[in-house]
Amino acid sequence: MNIPIYPGSSSFFPGNTPFGFYDNDYDFQVDADKVATFCARRLGYPIMEVELQDINFYAAFEEAITTYGNELYAFQLRDNLLNVINTPTSSNLSTALITPSLANIIRMSQQYGVEAGVGGNVTWYSGSFTTTASIQDYDLGDWAISQSISGGIEIKRIFHYGPPAVTRFYDPYAGTGLGTQNLMDSFGFGAYSPSVNFVLMPVNYDIQVIQAIEFNDTVRKSAYSFELINNKLKIFPIPDQSGVNIYFQYIKLQDRLDSIVNTGSAAVITNPSNAGYQNPVYSRINSIGRQWIFEYTLSLCKEILGYVRGKYTQVPIPGAEVTLNQSDLISAATAEKTALLERLRTFLDETSNQKMLERKQAETVARQSELGQAPMTIFIG
Amino acid sequence: MALFGSSRDVSMLRKVNRELLGDIMSQQCVLYKVNLEKTVSNIYGESTGYRYYTEPTILYCRITRTDPTFNNTDIGRDYSRTMTFSFLRDDLVDASVYPELGDIIMYQEGYFEVEQSYDNQLFVGKDPDYPYATNPLNPGLENFGYSVSINCIAHYIPADKVNLTKERP
Repeated sequence: MNIPIYPGSSSFFPGNTPFGFYDNDYDFQVDADKVATFCARRLGYPIMEVELQDINFYAAFEEAITTYGNELYAFQLRDNLLNVINTPTSSNLSTALITPSLANIIRMSQQYGVEAGVGGNVTWYSGSFTTTASIQDYDLGDWAISQSISGGIEIKRIFHYGPPAVTRFYDPYAGTGLGTQNLMDSFGFGAYSPSVNFVLMPVNYDIQVIQAIEFNDTVRKSAYSFELINNKLKIFPIPDQSGVNIYFQYIKLQDRLDSIVNTGSAAVITNPSNAGYQNPVYSRINSIGRQWIFEYTLSLCKEILGYVRGKYTQVPIPGAEVTLNQSDLISAATAEKTALLERLRTFLDETSNQKMLERKQAETVARQSELGQAPMTIFIG
Repeated sequence: MALFGSSRDVSMLRKVNRELLGDIMSQQCVLYKVNLEKTVSNIYGESTGYRYYTEPTILYCRITRTDPTFNNTDIGRDYSRTMTFSFLRDDLVDASVYPELGDIIMYQEGYFEVEQSYDNQLFVGKDPDYPYATNPLNPGLENFGYSVSINCIAHYIPADKVNLTKERP
């Protein structure tokens, strides 16, 4: 068997690459043979033989383009995942201009709205029970079972308060309304109903009256309060009559769990793996990207050649054995690949939305500082 | 079937060898095979007169030189030197020659008569010419292994004894 090696020239045909991602791209077809020549010459041809074939060069070229695309789109995805999540997977993000949106931030914030009772994606329900005289403890868990609610409930709010002070604002027996009464008496309106006040009083006076009523209730009366532990409600003061409704709001625990996973039928982007990025279009890659691809292709070829020459550490020659340069090739290829990837990632990171905004801000500060060096003239009108 | 030393691997080794021998080491010698049809021999197989040779073949090889020795004898000073010529077996196959006992190798205007010729360098220890392919448990061994070289140990022989060129006796 005689396996031919690179003869010094090549002629690319579609189908010569392992995956065929770019075979039909005219620019790729043209560059494939040029890249093969470039790599072969960089590896020593024609001074030395290069134990590779044209298809090895093409495979490396294809991999380099794909790697470039992966790095580029992985960067874009990192920069935009928050914006594109929940958008259709059918969208081709490779060439799309992505405009930032708060949609997903709001979606992510709904959980706080649920707990705060100001929005969110879990329904708050209302319920009530009737008090029994002298009974202070009520099990709302049992109430939920009686309402056929499975999975439990979580009480969000209990409506159990004392009557608002303002309802007794004009109550002469509230202990604080006498001032009003006295005032009305002093103006000769004592025979009139205390519910009507014909004297315009400053607001601070009304507020002080309300505070006095509340303070009076706090000191002299049993406070309206409750204690809620594990859905066991203890209300204060001890009810002195039956049949009083106490209202409350709650959520169903299962609703909160159901809000976590959205299994809608529409195919939407849910994670980096199904974001609509595809392999790059080679003909649209500019010279900056292509030069990176050429260099990465060379590193890959170097690596392949290293593995070819290194399959057998010792190569027999007549009467002796020699060691080829496989270790040099592989170590050099590994270092070059790492350096190229780091260079590309650094460059891409510098073009992130955050970095561009930071740079813009720095430019603005620098520009203002520079303009500040101009002498300030004195305006004489 | 074996795993290592396939004919595909051997193809690569062959190229490396030819590059090393031809482009890097670039050592050449000329092989003169004895023409057994024209050379007259006695009952012991020794030539009784002149030896005749076939057309010379230029071959790349790897040459292991030893220092010459000079022995003073009653009839003068005697010059001797031993050389080892290692040929790539594939080159010999392509040229259809095989150096044997009595053949002459010319190297740098000196003539060396082959006294030993052997092959003993098998890649991954296998010789594809002896696959014992009838073994049903391990078929296809004819595609594995590689007999790399033919080594010839030769000693210096004066030009007037070889009769390839006109020399003063």
